[in-house]
Amino acid sequence: MKQRHPRQFLEPLCFLSPALVVLAAVTLYPILYVLWLSLQRWSLIAGGHGFIGLQNYVRLAHDGRFWNALSNTVYFTGVSVALELVLGLAIAVLLHRAFPGKGLMRAVLLIPWAVPTVVSAKMWGWMYNADYGIFNYLLGTQVNWLGSPAWALHAAILMDVWKTVPFVAILLMAGLAGVPPELYQAARVDGASPWMIFRRVTLPQLRPLILVVLIFRTIDAFRVFDAIYVLTGGGPANTTETLSIYAYKILFQTLQFGYGSTLAVVVFFCVGLITLAYLRAMRKAGA
Amino acid sequence: MLGCLGLLVAAGCGRRAGVETSGEETTLVFKHSKFFGNPGAFEALLQQFEKENPGLRVKSETLPNSSDEQHQFYVINLQARSVDFDVLALDVVWGAEFARAGWLKEIGAWFSPEMQEEFFRAPLEAVAYGGKVHAVPWFIDAGVLYYRKDLLSQTHRDAPKTWDELVAIARQVTQDNPGLYGFVWQGKQYEGLVCNALEYLWSNGGNVIQNGRVVIDSPENRQAVAFMRDLIYRYHVSPQLVTTLTEEPSRNLFGNGKSVFLRNWPYAWSLFQQDGSAVKDKVGVTVLPHFPGKESAATLGGWQLGVNACSKHPEAAERLIRFLTSYEAQKALALAYALNPTRKKLYEDKDLLAAQPFTAQLHQVFERARPRPVTPFYVMISQHMQTEFSAVLVNLKTPDDALKTLQAEIDGILKQNPAANVSQ
Amino acid sequence: MKRLWFHFQLVVLAFWCLGPFLWQSATSLKPATQLTRLPPILPQPPTPEHYLTIFRDYPFLHIIINSIVVAAATTLLALAIGALAAFALGPLAMKGRALVLTFVLSVSMFPPIATVSPLYLIIQNLGLRDTVAALILTYTTFSLPLAIWVLTHFFRNLPTELYLAARVDGCTAFQAFRRVLLPLSAPGLVATGLVVFIFSWNEFLYALTFTATVSSRTVPVAIALFPGLHEVPWGEIAAASIVVTLPIVVLAFAFQRRIIEGLTAGSVKG
Repeated sequence: MKQRHPRQFLEPLCFLSPALVVLAAVTLYPILYVLWLSLQRWSLIAGGHGFIGLQNYVRLAHDGRFWNALSNTVYFTGVSVALELVLGLAIAVLLHRAFPGKGLMRAVLLIPWAVPTVVSAKMWGWMYNADYGIFNYLLGTQVNWLGSPAWALHAAILMDVWKTVPFVAILLMAGLAGVPPELYQAARVDGASPWMIFRRVTLPQLRPLILVVLIFRTIDAFRVFDAIYVLTGGGPANTTETLSIYAYKILFQTLQFGYGSTLAVVVFFCVGLITLAYLRAMRKAGA
Repeated sequence: MLGCLGLLVAAGCGRRAGVETSGEETTLVFKHSKFFGNPGAFEALLQQFEKENPGLRVKSETLPNSSDEQHQFYVINLQARSVDFDVLALDVVWGAEFARAGWLKEIGAWFSPEMQEEFFRAPLEAVAYGGKVHAVPWFIDAGVLYYRKDLLSQTHRDAPKTWDELVAIARQVTQDNPGLYGFVWQGKQYEGLVCNALEYLWSNGGNVIQNGRVVIDSPENRQAVAFMRDLIYRYHVSPQLVTTLTEEPSRNLFGNGKSVFLRNWPYAWSLFQQDGSAVKDKVGVTVLPHFPGKESAATLGGWQLGVNACSKHPEAAERLIRFLTSYEAQKALALAYALNPTRKKLYEDKDLLAAQPFTAQLHQVFERARPRPVTPFYVMISQHMQTEFSAVLVNLKTPDDALKTLQAEIDGILKQNPAANVSQ
Repeated sequence: MKRLWFHFQLVVLAFWCLGPFLWQSATSLKPATQLTRLPPILPQPPTPEHYLTIFRDYPFLHIIINSIVVAAATTLLALAIGALAAFALGPLAMKGRALVLTFVLSVSMFPPIATVSPLYLIIQNLGLRDTVAALILTYTTFSLPLAIWVLTHFFRNLPTELYLAARVDGCTAFQAFRRVLLPLSAPGLVATGLVVFIFSWNEFLYALTFTATVSSRTVPVAIALFPGLHEVPWGEIAAASIVVTLPIVVLAFAFQRRIIEGLTAGSVKG
């Protein structure tokens, strides 16, 4: 048990205060504003502005387009984060040893992540072009990647995975660097195979960091906007419309600030629930 | 109701409104999307304005080209009652919406009915709301049909007048030239799809909103929408990838010689005539086809100039607008950037026609252009239309179901405020 | 045999990362009329016109400098503030840290499009519109949650004996933090710094909303604003993305090697 020393609270607080001040000063107002707006009816065009309590949330529950966006978002998040984690981990393990050109390889790894989203979305859109895109050219097919309901969301997933695997890999590589080498040596002395070493030594050591990466990747994937919007605009027929795209259209195209804020709050709650689920699952697995 | 809104906005802005400067230098900020071409010509025009109006300076600031991004920018800034810009260039479908939100100052008496006569009729409809004019038409655009003259002459056919003729010609040419697409247009789920779809609806005598009533679910419309889908799935004249096309990709396809017909805006013409273009001198332009017994229709595009309701220099801002929409200014911009003027007289101007002979043909197209439903709720309605039409094009919904859904949805939207002025 | 497999995997990885990028490079060198034709894959003949255009017709250099300033400042601030906070939440074992971590995390759970409007009002009222300061402030704020969480993890992983030993030797908490903890968590710092840098480099929505003119414009907005004869100037965009990505790669290469290899070589473990 930790000592309940008054210094235990004040001293850390000094170190923590810059962060708290910055976060509170910049985000407190917008967050409260969004929460407050979600309880209002405010449409610039239809006129009228008033407090309506939870009516927006009720309307959301009956909104078919919301459920469509939610399912698209969940599917997108689930598949991309899973792929990113697996690939990122594999890459981190692959690059963990020392080899000539390691620095260069790590730098090359950054490229997908470093290209601005707008650019890479346009680039992938171009590669996915059914007529003069490189994919159809190399595969010799005529697949309508971005224009058919069956393929569009998957095309977006592939692009997102390409772009953010480096994020996962970089963080996990740093984590691997922190694993004491004695653990590996001991396992090898015990005659463990590489796979067993990975399972019994590497993974448990990395688990907390994997959790952090998982949480942040899920948060980001759930809120994805730019990449998909530039690629497909939410189409065809709203099959790639995620919650953020829906919220964007409501907020900035139909100017319904109340309802749009409700959507944002719901995204927040969904993400919060998922995060809590992760934390709980991890705690159980660790026990 | 509108008066109250106006008072509110004025009161809100009152805190920020400055005193009209006289004798000192005032700077006007003009927000618009970038011009394609040498920016020098526009700068020269602004310098001329500054010369004619001593004491006024104009700062020109560009916004990203995407209509969406501009709309988003304006929403955030105008809603925050920004005074950072005075004159803004609006897309032709935002007029009623911005006016209703109280973001635009009404255009003064200088834009009299006599002066309005000099402009095309369709854009004037788009800038009027609540019986008042909120912006001045600056440039105009309308959908046209491009076709390959050389391929059509092979089959000894003239440019199609009806949609059936277009299908027949396309099928014949693609039979003789396998590997070509018949007809490409903009079918991606975005605003351009609505522009395309409306042209089918209107050219069959149908409409979206008529005299304040929603009439989108009609037999004519069902036929028109079914035809749009059949272009892909029954006649195989349009490829499935049409559902990914916007203006530029479709223009590229046709420009690389891969399609017989293209529906697009007039801007593509000069690109087809560039050196190195695969279709140089092989392209013809005509009005869009129609259904038998009906009339051709083209969706109105273009830009308007409005005054920020919170601008500190409204009078000077209007002077700038008056200058930019004058005969000379529109002529200069047409010559420099191939932007189609909204003043009818310019289509008889000798210099302009000498430099851009193509422009003369457009006069008849623009005369008959039709604005998309002029209502503050247009963007909302368009969102629904985009979804439903896209669903038809990917075979997720039948035309009948889609139109029934749209009828209900648009009805619901308009019922939110029956007093909203809705034309056509 | 194992080495062959290893090298094969490296090649696949390199291709995966570089493939689209190489395609962009090829595009950036293609003459305008070949941009949307396939074949040819390679430009025939290669032309530097797109690179010249973006620098000549546009103050691209100034904009790159803006981006560098914003990203560098954000990274330094986020790392500094984040490391301090992580110190409090990790080794100093502050009371109620789970609550603090949750609060910090919740900041990043709102979709940016919902917060952009009220944020804009704040920026406007502070008079920071069209300044790089507005972007630095915003980006630092939204990078802090990740920085704090990752660095807290790294700090917690470090053996506490080292920190306690330093305190016993007479260091204040801050000195122990600076002299012992920071060097040991170099991998975490570098990784976090990279992630924050790239986030600021690529951020688009806030940059578009808070900036108006070239004086504060950053690269993503500039690319969206490229003048060109066609609606989508592919050649210029491709050239710009090459110009914009290479510095990051070079930067990452330089920093990773020097800091990680240099510092961890002499660290004491266990």
